[in-house]
Amino acid sequence: MKHEVRREAELELSLSEITALSARAARGAGRSWGESEEVGEAACWLARAGQDWAGAVLEVLDAAEDGGDCALRVGIVLADTAALSVPIKTKLPMINSPFFLLPFAARLADQAGQRIRLDWADTQVVLAPGACPSITGSVGIAGPAQVTITPDPQDKTPSPDWPPTHRGTVLATQYARLMQFMMASTVPTSASSLAGAGAGGNDDD
Amino acid sequence: MSCEDLNPMPQARAFRRSPDEVMRLARMGCSHPTRLSFLRQLLLRMQAESWRFDRPVWEIDAKGVGYAVYRAIGPARTYSLVAFAHDLPPEARSDRVIATAWDATFTLFDGTPTPDDLDRLAANVPLQEAGRVSPRELSLSRANRSVRLFEHVVERLAKGLQPDPAMLLETGYLMRTTAVYGSGKFGAVDRSAIAQRPEMRAPFQAEMLSVWLTRAFTVDLVEHLARAKGGETAVRLASELKRGLGVGNSTGLGMAPFLIRHPILLNNWMLAREEALARVRAQFTVGAAQLAQLHSTLEAARENAALWTSAHDIQIAKLADLRASLNQIADHVAQGWDQTTPHPWDDLWRWGQDVLPLEGQEALLAAILEPHGALIDGLGDCMEADESAHFAINGAMPVGDLRAILKAQYGWALRPDYTARAQCARFWYVSEDKLEPRLGERHEEPGAERELPLDTGRQAAALWQALQEQPDDLPVAHVLLAAPEHRPAVRRAQITARHPFAEIRDNLISAEMLPIDILRCKLAFFGATRFDPRSDRWVRISLFQGAPFPDEMNGDCHEA
Repeated sequence: MKHEVRREAELELSLSEITALSARAARGAGRSWGESEEVGEAACWLARAGQDWAGAVLEVLDAAEDGGDCALRVGIVLADTAALSVPIKTKLPMINSPFFLLPFAARLADQAGQRIRLDWADTQVVLAPGACPSITGSVGIAGPAQVTITPDPQDKTPSPDWPPTHRGTVLATQYARLMQFMMASTVPTSASSLAGAGAGGNDDD
Repeated sequence: MSCEDLNPMPQARAFRRSPDEVMRLARMGCSHPTRLSFLRQLLLRMQAESWRFDRPVWEIDAKGVGYAVYRAIGPARTYSLVAFAHDLPPEARSDRVIATAWDATFTLFDGTPTPDDLDRLAANVPLQEAGRVSPRELSLSRANRSVRLFEHVVERLAKGLQPDPAMLLETGYLMRTTAVYGSGKFGAVDRSAIAQRPEMRAPFQAEMLSVWLTRAFTVDLVEHLARAKGGETAVRLASELKRGLGVGNSTGLGMAPFLIRHPILLNNWMLAREEALARVRAQFTVGAAQLAQLHSTLEAARENAALWTSAHDIQIAKLADLRASLNQIADHVAQGWDQTTPHPWDDLWRWGQDVLPLEGQEALLAAILEPHGALIDGLGDCMEADESAHFAINGAMPVGDLRAILKAQYGWALRPDYTARAQCARFWYVSEDKLEPRLGERHEEPGAERELPLDTGRQAAALWQALQEQPDDLPVAHVLLAAPEHRPAVRRAQITARHPFAEIRDNLISAEMLPIDILRCKLAFFGATRFDPRSDRWVRISLFQGAPFPDEMNGDCHEA
């Protein structure tokens, strides 16, 4: 029997579509609005860096939301306490989807005004303030893992430029799942709302 | 960026109105377009830079079906409106966002489209939301004919006659857009990718350019159909009649949340306008040219108010206020205004504050900005916003500081009792069918558990409560760790501390709240005229009425 390797269909989305879809999907998955907005921003950052933003978002949304191993929760604390946690040297607990920490750790680098390095399993990521992440090792979504964050000396590998694109790709199956999550944040339009929202009768004049 | 440090007139600050006065819905719902409005900025730039315009493609048949391309050629870049004209059966014509077919569909293309581009666009643009555009496109929009007027104009021109001026005045447009999407919607280019271009820096410039070129298309289409029908007998639309035609627009609730979800942008729009007013009030003299321009501006405003009609009770009352106010202002400027005082413009403004209703006060604002282009037009550069730069929450902020912000900026939010039925009567949500924002009745309809976070006042009050037992020196990050539901309110408060015009200072879920007030404010910043509410949540307006057409601008205009 002949086997055919078929590549899954990919869609291209603008960054604003990625931000809105991810935030609404997170809300549909039961996260608070504040956390959902963080998911949207994080997805946008990962997409700009050319990374698998949808895979990272889905991994976070599929995990238990209140666990101490939630990358979203840990990431938010990391970013919120950026100004409180200098000097930077942190050994985080075991975290699901450590890749999702990167946008939040980037804010830590911004706030500290210095390069930082994240290490987990065989992955090493260097984040310079405002710069695109420099990633070595596995880039796939692989958790849980223990992440350490340390300052990175200034004279190491230069950070790559941000890719000159304002788009992100998503696999059709990922898109369908994100849409499914997102739809859970919507409400069927009521008859009274429909009546008031626009013209009921003839629009011609 | 903040322009505050670059302000060449820091002395004007003393004349600024407070956010507590400006950011109330009752006043925002009386907003008038000014010379800082986005369509005015577009026209002023294109005139100053001598943009050229042409129409390299016109493939429209005798039934009005086909496509056309209009180009706007600037000093650095060219933008093309690609227009598709369709044969729409009357029963399919609807202005609602849920419609699926239109008389015409459009996109603004970045550059000059190739035949391949046009093929791709022809397969997607007519589908609107059901299609996809690409990073080469800046906007996606559609329009329906104002059937009665459209047919009348075609009939008359075909017979070699001009249309009835009264009918033109009554409707004011041949087509109305029912949605104009930009900023990355449906695959279009993200704003962040084009915001560095000088001509796109001001908000909504791509959308405004698209609508302005659409206006030219609507006139070309009626003239084309008249020629197809009348042959040699047909005439073109007289330029003085043409000038009075704008593009209509039907706008519903979908636009309202924008101002709430973009607090820094709202601040920058408001602050630019308020700084403009303050600068004018700080002037020491009234020049002859300024006085003459003020007179002509008031005259034009009175003519506009006379032609501006609405069947909506609230708007009828506002129009009566406006007409009476404009008469009062014109009389006062002609007779009562002492122009020899140290701050004559401020005196005029204060007189208006004392004697005019809100509608008249805001009309006076627009009128006195008009003769001061050199003084205020530069403020147009301050109306954009890099919102991502302000996204991060400062978790190190002590609770005492956050409390102080709430006390100083959110008094309006802390007063209502949100458990009272009328104070939480509404909830904003996203509709399942069109993914559009809607407003529900909390006590009568299901779905409130899926509410959008647009209940800004109630959230601020809940945050205030949550902070009550916390020590002043506790970092906000610790509060959020225990209570992440306060995140949006903390972010908004921190933004508002630095951007005092960021919040609409009213309860947005109250039974009293009128969405049309939010719409009017936003549409006035666009430059819209003839605001005509059809309910408390959707409106008709006109864009570019009275503005020049491409062939009336400074540069050349060629037809292919």
